[in-house]
Amino acid sequence: MTLRSARAGLRWGWAVSMGAALALIGFVGYAQWNGSLARAQFTTSVQQAGARAVLNFEQEQAELREQIGAAEAEVQRFQESSTTSSAALAELNSQLAAARLAAGLTRMRGPGVVIEIADSNRVVPAGENPANFIVLVDDLRDIVAALWASGAEGIAINGERLVATSSIYGVGASVLVNTAFLSPPFRVEAIGSDGLLDRFLLDAAFRGRVGQRVDLFALEFATAPGLEIELPAFIGNTRFRWAVPSEQVQ
Amino acid sequence: MRGRAAQYSFVAVAMVIGLLAVGQLRSQSRPAEVTRLSAQELSVLIETLTQRNRELRTGLADIREQVREYTLLGSQGQSAIDVSREDLRRITAFAALAPVEGQGIVMIVDGDLDAIALNDLINELRNAGAEAIAVDEVRITARSVAIQGALSLQVDGVAIAKRFSLRAVGSPEGLLAAVERPGGIISQLKLFVSATIQVRQSESVQLPATAMSLAPTVGEAAE
Repeated sequence: MTLRSARAGLRWGWAVSMGAALALIGFVGYAQWNGSLARAQFTTSVQQAGARAVLNFEQEQAELREQIGAAEAEVQRFQESSTTSSAALAELNSQLAAARLAAGLTRMRGPGVVIEIADSNRVVPAGENPANFIVLVDDLRDIVAALWASGAEGIAINGERLVATSSIYGVGASVLVNTAFLSPPFRVEAIGSDGLLDRFLLDAAFRGRVGQRVDLFALEFATAPGLEIELPAFIGNTRFRWAVPSEQVQ
Repeated sequence: MRGRAAQYSFVAVAMVIGLLAVGQLRSQSRPAEVTRLSAQELSVLIETLTQRNRELRTGLADIREQVREYTLLGSQGQSAIDVSREDLRRITAFAALAPVEGQGIVMIVDGDLDAIALNDLINELRNAGAEAIAVDEVRITARSVAIQGALSLQVDGVAIAKRFSLRAVGSPEGLLAAVERPGGIISQLKLFVSATIQVRQSESVQLPATAMSLAPTVGEAAE
């Protein structure tokens, strides 16, 4: 091989390498933009001002929840530090621990399943409603309903633990759980006995709407059974302003 | 050899740049997502977040007061037992393990509601700030769900007749406004279900404790 032909070969090699790299970047970028087309809308200055206010409130909420978590931990430390002081306190703290576990105020671990759902990567056909191709709040509600009906003992969505006061709410295409904004992909973790995933997949709440939407619109959907799951504790307001515990109901 | 190694390095760097670009784009998706909401949707969201943050601030103040009590009383003694006993009372009420009473609303539903509609009603009340909810005498817990039984709706295994009550403890004005607002849950349900839904405020709503055992059988507290 002559020097000239060797250099030509080298130039070709570089060209192919650069082309491959640029094609890869282009593909990734195209996939990102194409996957977001269903959520694309124009914005106005009023919306931008409102959006800034929402983000500020969210930031405040995150800080408040962090402080609540720290304060709750301090309360528990006081209570746990007294377990050896008297039998009465020890019994009381045992009841407190059981109540916190039942309420979702304690981290919980056990066997369970993970269900992930995300927006479709399919290009929205002309004339189709783009909303069909994104995960809607009803999809998450149906998944959660099917899991509870299947015997789940605890559920969290993207790290948000569900408790008696939890809501799964939609504003536009956005989803709030415990008034915290969540973005797709949505990871639903549930603790429950053997067969939880099988029961979930057969449950009417899953098969009725969300199961059909997964099939029709190719929403990204994946499940993993038989895992060891750890659910976070609920962090939020647990102090009632209106409800007072009563001894009996008339 | 040196040329080929340089080519491989270039491709690797380009791949890393691509991954970083995707990560950057995804990290920007959240603010962009909020700006895509309509002005009305943003208004609803701001109202919800304002209310929720107010509740969190109040809750935080209460917890800090409890910490102060423990600090003053020390972790020993009868007074500490009293504080812990009150905490137990609070947590069991929160978990629906104890009956509660307070101001709120009473809804009387009469018609052909399905499980989805009933679950949506419960969800709407929770989002409006309901602290405790019951369907007839079934107290709603974290695990409660309405399903379509063989003969009727069921909540936590209890059959629910076509005419049932849905009671919620919370701000009477706030709960009423949330369920009756234009475009809200009641007006939406009226488009799809054949049912009458009457709502009224109440000075005294009394809800029973759940009959379910909420102690997990396979789950346990994580250390």
